[in-house]
Amino acid sequence: MKNFIVRTLVAISLSALMFAQAPAAKQSKTFAKPPAMSPAPPPQLGPVALRGGKLLTISHGVIENGVVVLENGKIAAVGGAGTAIPKNARVIDCTGMTIYPGLIDSSTQLGLTEISAVDMTNDLVETSDEIMPHMHVSDAFHAESELIPVTRMNGITNAVVVPASRDTLPGQMAFIKLDGRDKDDMLLIRDISMPLNFTGRQRRNESFNTSRYPSTRMGMAAQLRQAFIDAQDYAQKWDDYNKKGADNSKDKKDAGSPPKRDFRLEALIPYLQGKKPVVLTASEPSDIKTAMRLAKEFNLKVILGGIAHAQMMVDEIAASHLPVIVGSIYDIPDTNERYDIEYSWPAELVKHGVKIAFASYDSHNVRNLPYAAGYAVAYGLPYEEAMKALTINPAEIWGVSDQLGSLDVGKTANVVVANGDPLDPRTDVKRVFIAGRDIPMVSRQTELRDEYSK
Amino acid sequence: MRARLLSSCVTALTLSLSVSLSAQMSPKPVPQDTVIKGGTILTVTHGTIQNGSIYIHDGKIAEVGQAVHAPANAIIIDATGKYVMPGIVDAHSHSALDGDVNEATSPVTPQMMMRDAFDYTDKAIYHSLAGGVTTSLLLHGSANMIGGEAVVIKHKFGLDRDDLLFPNAPRSIKFASGENPKRVYGGRNQLPSTRMGNFAVQRAALQEAKEYMRDWDAYDAKVKAGDKTAKAPKRDLKLDELADVLRGKVMVQIHCYRADELLNEIAIAKEFGYNLRALHHGLEVYKVAQKVADAHVGLATFADWWGFKTEAWDAIPWNAVMSMRKGVIVAIKSDSNDFARRLNQEAAKTIRYGGATEDEALRMITLNPAWIIGVDDRVGSIDVGKDADIAIWNGHPLSIYGRVEKVLIDGSVFFDVNSGKYGLPFWKDGPMTGRDGFGNDDSDGEVDY
Repeated sequence: MKNFIVRTLVAISLSALMFAQAPAAKQSKTFAKPPAMSPAPPPQLGPVALRGGKLLTISHGVIENGVVVLENGKIAAVGGAGTAIPKNARVIDCTGMTIYPGLIDSSTQLGLTEISAVDMTNDLVETSDEIMPHMHVSDAFHAESELIPVTRMNGITNAVVVPASRDTLPGQMAFIKLDGRDKDDMLLIRDISMPLNFTGRQRRNESFNTSRYPSTRMGMAAQLRQAFIDAQDYAQKWDDYNKKGADNSKDKKDAGSPPKRDFRLEALIPYLQGKKPVVLTASEPSDIKTAMRLAKEFNLKVILGGIAHAQMMVDEIAASHLPVIVGSIYDIPDTNERYDIEYSWPAELVKHGVKIAFASYDSHNVRNLPYAAGYAVAYGLPYEEAMKALTINPAEIWGVSDQLGSLDVGKTANVVVANGDPLDPRTDVKRVFIAGRDIPMVSRQTELRDEYSK
Repeated sequence: MRARLLSSCVTALTLSLSVSLSAQMSPKPVPQDTVIKGGTILTVTHGTIQNGSIYIHDGKIAEVGQAVHAPANAIIIDATGKYVMPGIVDAHSHSALDGDVNEATSPVTPQMMMRDAFDYTDKAIYHSLAGGVTTSLLLHGSANMIGGEAVVIKHKFGLDRDDLLFPNAPRSIKFASGENPKRVYGGRNQLPSTRMGNFAVQRAALQEAKEYMRDWDAYDAKVKAGDKTAKAPKRDLKLDELADVLRGKVMVQIHCYRADELLNEIAIAKEFGYNLRALHHGLEVYKVAQKVADAHVGLATFADWWGFKTEAWDAIPWNAVMSMRKGVIVAIKSDSNDFARRLNQEAAKTIRYGGATEDEALRMITLNPAWIIGVDDRVGSIDVGKDADIAIWNGHPLSIYGRVEKVLIDGSVFFDVNSGKYGLPFWKDGPMTGRDGFGNDDSDGEVDY
């Protein structure tokens, strides 16, 4: 316990130190930088060839009795039985197996929680204020979480880590891979996006006596609008300052002293500039419309999320051409809705031409992500679209489709080998490769199983 | 005993009242002679019958086989290309209670009768019916060491309240241990705030009931012997119920997680001599499965839930099958309005985690939970003489692509995917009334599981 406290204190003071050292002038330049992948992890040990399986390539159909070669952490070859296998490759017989690209979960809380009911293991959301864009899940992400091996053993190789939805703007999300020596290895893209939550749960209206601003949706909207206006003003101040300095570089004094830095407002600027998308998360049509109006007002780039009860505005959603993160399939229908309205919602969206990606919106149960997609297939979603919504669609939405989301040469070797249909809960995942590394199929859970099977 | 008599008087009274109050509900259907024809029948007890038929007479299964001898005027349900299985049984539900699962004002409340809170209009009953569920045990939450008496329902959505109650179902009471009671009462600086306190509260209540029972037995003996001066002890609803537990008239369903704790519960049941029917959750049963099997105690568990609290930290998805292999009767249960809609998928996970056969997986959501509830002689398999509670699927129910198309209860169709807006032959289309199935999500969810 004492150790734990000491470690926590060290961590706190370390991160404080890091903030103090952040060079103020440099920061304004980084606004323009696109999100970059972290340096590649060490390459895999020698090439691996997966031979004889059924390949779900996602990008170019199904290849029966196919071959996939993984080399230096990348996919080096994909093809039929005749595909050349390097002489030094470790050949793995995959006869009877199904091989597909690693699955991507577009909304999880991996690394932010360990035991849900134990507060000290939770770093889900900062609820002291509702506008918290300067919170970064990358600062809390716990690379050694026991949830990660449990999850990746079911073929989920990448995930977006999202703070909990209690705040309107709860902070910056991160795109991770579910393997790595430490957090730097695993956090592929920090601050990739941020949620803009507008479900009503962000109101501070627990009871009449303890409620505080914003206790209504009106308050939420006003507060959000003020925050973006403040951020615009703040950006303008810095622009003016930088311009003055540049105009009269001989006499920097004219520029005056630099404006006071404000991390909170600074964090909103990339979104005002349209450089990063917000994930606009709402459930009911009226909330979606209010939030969309605000997003338009500030020219925000939008990915839709949630939208569980928005069936009546499906045409409008389609016309917006916005991608949708679907995690609503297990939501309970409203009073007058048919029992299957949520089950058939992904099919309905795709039928209308909407690009969807599945998300579990979960932590411990992220491993069950593919079954939601499978159940959507039972209710009308074409199988290929379900697989895409777990792979290439999220890769495109998150801007990483050049590296992830399909079995194609040159992409990161995130490859899963299973003994059947990935969308069926009876299927057992046999092997998972992440960036070419043959992941040990071991978790805290398998260790307990083995111990008590003796 | 007296309590039971009294309560059946009350039931009779409410029955006559409700007839006049519920004109908007459909009248109880008279089951017609029916044949389900041509399907793949998953009997659960005696294998799979390809291209088989089931003859239903008087709401019961009258014949099962390749060919059946039904009267010519029987209704035919064509199940060609479909899968036919017994209705799913959920041994652990908090549906249709509008969050009234815990009378968390005292840790011992055996006199709380679930049937007093049960809302027969709650949409959760409909949602799980559409997932193939026909029978559920509605249990108290786990805030209290002793929560109260549960109620068994059939999912006859659209009928009147009392038509949904499973007739003459055995009585069950919910007990709980572990984190929830100690958190709820410890948080108020009351007893119990530790596991020591939990068990002390439980033992004290049982001891009090033992003495109460002894006083009543002595009184009854005196009366029987013709002693006119015998003075009756004071009636206490709380102790009436617990005395019935000690007399073996009420089965105990205990919420517990850790291995040490469930062994304690088994020991206390032995010490006081009551019928501990099943461990609910029991996420660590795999650690002591042989002992649980030897004690003839069942297990109603999650397929793969874990990590939601400290006592669920050692949960593994192999628990169900590892325990079953040691001889424990295992059910996969919902404990959730969501999971209750897709228990078939949860059962399918036992095939992947531990290699259950299809029959074993199906038994975990049919016959085994029926045993835990004590109605396995009447539901839970497709056998002659059992209630005609049957779910018909468009694909194999253990496949993720299987969808329920029809559900029969006592021989009448209560769900038909093609019937009106909602698929509910006994619920008129148009605006739905009643509660919307969110009941247990609105309550203090953390003390449900």
